Amino acid sequence: MKRRQFVAAVGGLALNAAFAPRNLFGAPPASLGFSFSDVTAAAGIQFQHNSGAFGGKFLPETLGSGCAFLDYDNDGWQDVLLVNGMDWPGHKRQKSTLHLYRNNRNGSFTDVTRAAGLDIEMYGMGVAVGDYNNDGFPDIFISCVGQSHLFRNNGDGKFTDVTRAAGFLSHEGFSTSALWIDYDRDGLLDLFVCNYVRWSPEHDVFCSLDGTHKSYCTPEAYRGNTCWLFHNRGDGTFEDVTATSGIFDSSSKSLGVAMFDYDQDGWPDLLVANDTQPNKLYRNLRNGKFKDVAVEAGLAFSTEGKARAGMGVDTGDFNNSGRPGVAITNFDNEMIGLYRAVSATAYDDISQASGIGGPSKNTLGFGCAFLDVNLDGFLDLAVANGHIDETVRNIRGNVGYAQPPQLFLNAGNGKFRDVAAEVDGGFEKSKVGRGLAYGDFDGDGDVDILMTTNNGPAYLFRNDQSSGNRSIRFRLIGTKSNRDAIGACVRIFYNGQTQSRLVHGGSSYLSQSELPVTFGLAQRDRIDRVTIDWPSGRNEEFKDLAAGRYQCTESKGIKPMPQ
Amino acid sequence: MQPVQKLSSQRSPTTGLLFGLIITLVAVLAYASYITVQLSGLRRLQSDMVDRNRKDSLQLLRIQNDLNSIALAMRDMLDAAEPYPLTAWSAQFDRIHTDLDAALKLEEKFAGANRTPEQRLYLDQSLAQFWDAVNRMFALATAAQEAEAREQIRLTLQARQQALSTAVSRLLVENNEGEEQAAARIAHIYDSVQRQLYLFLAATLIAIVLTSLYLIRANRQIFARLAELSEQRSDLAQKLISTQESTLRHISRELHDEFGQVLTAIGAMLGRAGNQAPEGSALRADLQEVREIAQSTLDNIRSLSQALHPVLLEEAGLESTLDWYIPTVERQTGIRLHYEKSGQSFPVDTSVGVHLYRIVQEALNNVSRHAGVTEAWVRLKFLPHALELEVQDHGKGFVSANTPNGDTPRGIGLVGMRERAELIGATLEISHPTQGGTLLRLKIPQDKLQTHAA
Repeated sequence: MKRRQFVAAVGGLALNAAFAPRNLFGAPPASLGFSFSDVTAAAGIQFQHNSGAFGGKFLPETLGSGCAFLDYDNDGWQDVLLVNGMDWPGHKRQKSTLHLYRNNRNGSFTDVTRAAGLDIEMYGMGVAVGDYNNDGFPDIFISCVGQSHLFRNNGDGKFTDVTRAAGFLSHEGFSTSALWIDYDRDGLLDLFVCNYVRWSPEHDVFCSLDGTHKSYCTPEAYRGNTCWLFHNRGDGTFEDVTATSGIFDSSSKSLGVAMFDYDQDGWPDLLVANDTQPNKLYRNLRNGKFKDVAVEAGLAFSTEGKARAGMGVDTGDFNNSGRPGVAITNFDNEMIGLYRAVSATAYDDISQASGIGGPSKNTLGFGCAFLDVNLDGFLDLAVANGHIDETVRNIRGNVGYAQPPQLFLNAGNGKFRDVAAEVDGGFEKSKVGRGLAYGDFDGDGDVDILMTTNNGPAYLFRNDQSSGNRSIRFRLIGTKSNRDAIGACVRIFYNGQTQSRLVHGGSSYLSQSELPVTFGLAQRDRIDRVTIDWPSGRNEEFKDLAAGRYQCTESKGIKPMPQ
Repeated sequence: MQPVQKLSSQRSPTTGLLFGLIITLVAVLAYASYITVQLSGLRRLQSDMVDRNRKDSLQLLRIQNDLNSIALAMRDMLDAAEPYPLTAWSAQFDRIHTDLDAALKLEEKFAGANRTPEQRLYLDQSLAQFWDAVNRMFALATAAQEAEAREQIRLTLQARQQALSTAVSRLLVENNEGEEQAAARIAHIYDSVQRQLYLFLAATLIAIVLTSLYLIRANRQIFARLAELSEQRSDLAQKLISTQESTLRHISRELHDEFGQVLTAIGAMLGRAGNQAPEGSALRADLQEVREIAQSTLDNIRSLSQALHPVLLEEAGLESTLDWYIPTVERQTGIRLHYEKSGQSFPVDTSVGVHLYRIVQEALNNVSRHAGVTEAWVRLKFLPHALELEVQDHGKGFVSANTPNGDTPRGIGLVGMRERAELIGATLEISHPTQGGTLLRLKIPQDKLQTHAA
């Protein structure tokens, strides 16, 4: 390069820097085709998580809490639920409860917690939403430290705590993520609950980094605890089938759970992310029993054979191969595990090659979700990050307590790129992120992001498309299958291409995303056909659909929904 | 100076050097094979013992980890903190059982000769008994005999688990000891190799020093012999030249004095005889013819005498001889010779002058024969303390004496010039100026011009 050219180039760079201080080395935001806006305050969501921290350094304080998109009033608009902790006994300062926000259908929400009868104090961790009694209104399970709660939706905007009636009363633990799953395909949603370790305030262990001051313990200090599987008897009660189903494992320290049909046999399997213990892949043996095949599937350990600190987990057909892939967030220095199906029952960790491994090396990931944020037809990956140790910066200079969330855009060629710093709305600002869920709360056809932080506020990021990309969304209603159609597999076909989604709850960390499934179509405005494999075993196909929103009721056809 | 016989009887250093080379090669080969043997021993030790041991230890740790998991599970079962029947743990036990079996299979593969049959038998039997007891315990639990099952855990399973754990720990300790022993053997091998390396280096160094000393000595002898030979050759050459000069001088004098006198007398007598013969007679004509023949012979004799040894040198000195000689050469060869003289002339002893004359003679001979030129320069410079003589041409130049063609007559001529120069204590330079041709420059100090004797 000649000197004059060099000077011109440097000058040009300086000019660019002056007029575009952000994204100096990346593409300008407009080229992403979408952007985020932080609409938390505008939407009327004023939430502050209470971890109950008073200096006692109780382990659960570092881990909460979750969030959910749900349509509790069944009006077709996604409402928001934010789980909360509470003050520890003996250290009472305030009342804190979970919060339910009803969607006003104009971009704003109304806090209806009290009206819904949910202003009950509990040390909440996670949330699982599912219509367990098939009455058309989603019910809410809140996993807690101590006694978890099941709230039945009365259909009139109110909820009833049916924990005792449902038979959950004797189950106390350090419960974390939970999900509704119809594992026996009897049309009734069953409940899977993760438990972390055997902890209670009375049996708290003293851990210290400096030998004097108490600090948060690592999970090694505590014994593991089994996850629970509750079978829905259909009469409003549940049966604990943990032992008989083969789920029981007293060594597990579980934080995240996702359902997916890993062996493509039509029966939902369960993937559990364990902290410092091997992850578990419970293969559904179709007879009410499960068998852990995580080691054989290559999902139990890191590629070095080490049990990592698994936190959040999600599954999704991110390469449009028809076989779901897996993402598991881990501790800092451990990278996110991104797994691609390489055979009918085996996975390969492609984190490093995909471009996700490097950027996630120094982050501690919690919530994670596959979502097509730019509607280009490929699932992207959103991750909530944040450390558990406030003093981590003193020990590891390049790792902070608050960490920027990440948004890995899928290029469609097996490569991902973190574009968090380019999406605006303060998304990239460091947070002590925990829960993460997505849902189309404003009905514009793309998915928005809900994120919770530990002992901090929740964030609602509205996603706005500027590229003109379109989507097709399906809300499924089961008749023979469970009413939420959880476990249904939706595939769309167009121009020789295929995308697939599984209707699922759970996933991410302590959180649940909306149940309707969204497919990005890029600039396309039609699809050739859609097939739906219902959990009941029924297969349906509908042809030539325009982009937009549809409601499909099992055996009763499909109809477009008004925007 | 050593006698020639002694020098020639000395041995050539080649044999010694060859001998040294063979010894060095043998030493290198011996050391290389020693190192190869040691390396392969090390490799064997490392792959067969250390690596296997390490892999075996890893499997033993895996087994120990499984046994610990079993211990923890049994503790949970006895705690009865879970609301579940003991049968709930069966899946967990199955998983551990599967992993344990896989680990044991690998362990058996790696353990190899490290394990005695008794140890193997003990491990196998203990594990079989343990799993039997586990099965009995779960059978009791399945039959709703929870208390008996717990009793089975307390009395049998925990003890067996501990015994197994101890046995595995012992194997690990043995492996560690084996590893330490292997490490010690490896260290020993490294030490001895290092020792041998030092020895080898020292021996090589000594061999190099001895060979070098031997080479230096042999070299010195060779150079001394060369110098001596050169001196002898020079002596010989000078003697040859002196002999040649004196012989030529003698012949020249004889020719000049004896034959010259005789022929002169004959000529005079013939002249007188001719005068006595009648004018216009045949006799007178014959006598005149004979007289001319005698005169011609006299001229030839004189010319030959002059060529063999210019009498002029002794009679008129070098300068006059050259004054006469150079035009003569010019006439004979047809080469135009620019004869330049400078400085205040001084006398040159005939014994020196003859050599200077011969050198000029040879140089001009070379010019006419080899330079391929039509003109040349001869410069005679009388310097304050020396005499300088230059012969220069702009021709092709001629090859110096020490080239491969040095044995040509020209080479001999050059050698002769050098010998003569050396004989009279002069310096002779032959150079090839950049503009081409050859410049011969001879310089002799003034004091050498008077005293030297041929």
